[in-house]
Amino acid sequence: MNCVRSSLYKCVSLALATLLASSTYADIPRTQSGHPDFSGIWQTLSAADSGLEAHESRPDAPPSPGIVEGGVIPYTAAALEQREQNFNERLVRDPARQCFSLGTPRGIYYPEPFEILQRERDVTVLFQFSHRPRTIHTNDSLHPEGPIGFWFGDSRAKWEGDTLVVDVADFNADTWLDSAGNFHSDQLHVTERWHFIDENTLQYDATLEDAAVYTKPWNLSVQLHRHREPNFQLIENTCYTHDYDQYYPVPSGG
Amino acid sequence: MTTFIRFKPLLLKPLALALAIAAPFAGAQQDNFRENTLHVVAAGAWNGPVLADGQPDVQGHWSNTIGNHNDFTGTDRQPSRIVDPADGQVPFQDWARAKAEDFAAHLENPIKPEYVEPFARCSPGGPSKSFMWHGYEIRQYTDKVLFIFDSGTRLIHLDDKPALPETVKLWNGDSRGHWEGNTLVVDVNNHNGKARFGRSGEFVSGNATVQERYSFENGGEYLYYQATYTDPSVLTRPFTVGIPSKRITAATEQDGWNNITFPVTFADASHAPDIEAWERTCVENNGNHGDVAVEGS
Repeated sequence: MNCVRSSLYKCVSLALATLLASSTYADIPRTQSGHPDFSGIWQTLSAADSGLEAHESRPDAPPSPGIVEGGVIPYTAAALEQREQNFNERLVRDPARQCFSLGTPRGIYYPEPFEILQRERDVTVLFQFSHRPRTIHTNDSLHPEGPIGFWFGDSRAKWEGDTLVVDVADFNADTWLDSAGNFHSDQLHVTERWHFIDENTLQYDATLEDAAVYTKPWNLSVQLHRHREPNFQLIENTCYTHDYDQYYPVPSGG
Repeated sequence: MTTFIRFKPLLLKPLALALAIAAPFAGAQQDNFRENTLHVVAAGAWNGPVLADGQPDVQGHWSNTIGNHNDFTGTDRQPSRIVDPADGQVPFQDWARAKAEDFAAHLENPIKPEYVEPFARCSPGGPSKSFMWHGYEIRQYTDKVLFIFDSGTRLIHLDDKPALPETVKLWNGDSRGHWEGNTLVVDVNNHNGKARFGRSGEFVSGNATVQERYSFENGGEYLYYQATYTDPSVLTRPFTVGIPSKRITAATEQDGWNNITFPVTFADASHAPDIEAWERTCVENNGNHGDVAVEGS
């Protein structure tokens, strides 16, 4: 590249962009068919689950700069009141406290690892929390005829270049979006976009639409980091048994 | 207990339903998938399709063909799930047999919380019980085999990852496996000793070690699951469980119970028929003990 004839800034920028493009897209893991291979164990370093919007610390959660584009979730007036009530009752009503399936997108930024297991026909997201799998179908299939009311929604995806674009529909209204009472109805529709930033970092973007709760679609973004500790693995976290584990001591008496 | 069940396959309350269908079954069960003999698959060579990493490709949907979780050793409709020793019974030490019998005696009159079967509270079933329950799915990846059950998920590690520290106790244990021809051999450790094999109360302790052997028929239709339990603190000798499973395909007649899957809808209507299992939840839907019977009455 001839940097003499061009402005130095433009020239360096162009060179940097070329370098980034090559390092980003040449060095990522790929499947046999050439798609990005997201296999691995991932987790956010953010405190998104403590509240999607920016907030200071509180006794039950750390502070966070927020992950909502524009800063504020565009609730309807009635939904905003519901969110406030949820927040006030969060220590009792947050479904995660019962170890229920986290739903989409909450499972992705909940502060526990999840493992991606990838085949040509689907991408399985196995959450350590509650040890639940979510299947993202990548086999040109369609949503089943609803309404059904899945906890994670029904996920059908296509590859757009190196980005996995997931259409998630058919939810129930029983999951929350975080531990601060942010919520949705069973009309929720999520569009996720997953792509590599580098081989050990994923960019996760989601658009949430729900005319019953939001005045317009809104976006959230979070980065996911690969667990690279030697021999790291998920450990079955069936936290829903904690309430009754006490009743089943290891039998003894011999 | 009433058996007036409003079966809504899309809004499953699987464990609650199981409670409503007390043994013996009420006769509503369809038998098109059920067998009353053990279809044994011998360990041997694998001549079927293989995956990129050399594993036999056994992915898909499966369901057991005999028995159910109600009764671990009963023989009224099928052989005992215990194939060794020959009498089909758990070789318990006396104190342990008494504990199992006490549990069974109180199952329908649980006067203490510990008499409620943990499975009815949606706990994972433990290694073998999951194969006596509804259908399940096998997915395979490089160095991993994933089992998705109605109640619990197991990821079998085929690499040389060291076992978890023995202080970590889990309902489904921690699994390390390898392939020997047509047979997936899995060592399961780290049991928490809380699960029961059946509503009949049999158990092993947190000291148990388990070796599972999953032998797949070369034709692809049958899987024979064996698990040998060794536990000197509860047993007088090891015992072995034997459970046959059969593959579920798009052509399998649905019985609405053991092999629930759903046809896939493709944009291209000429696409070959395929099936998929839908999200399986339990604790989220579980109500009080006997909830369905109350709702249905």
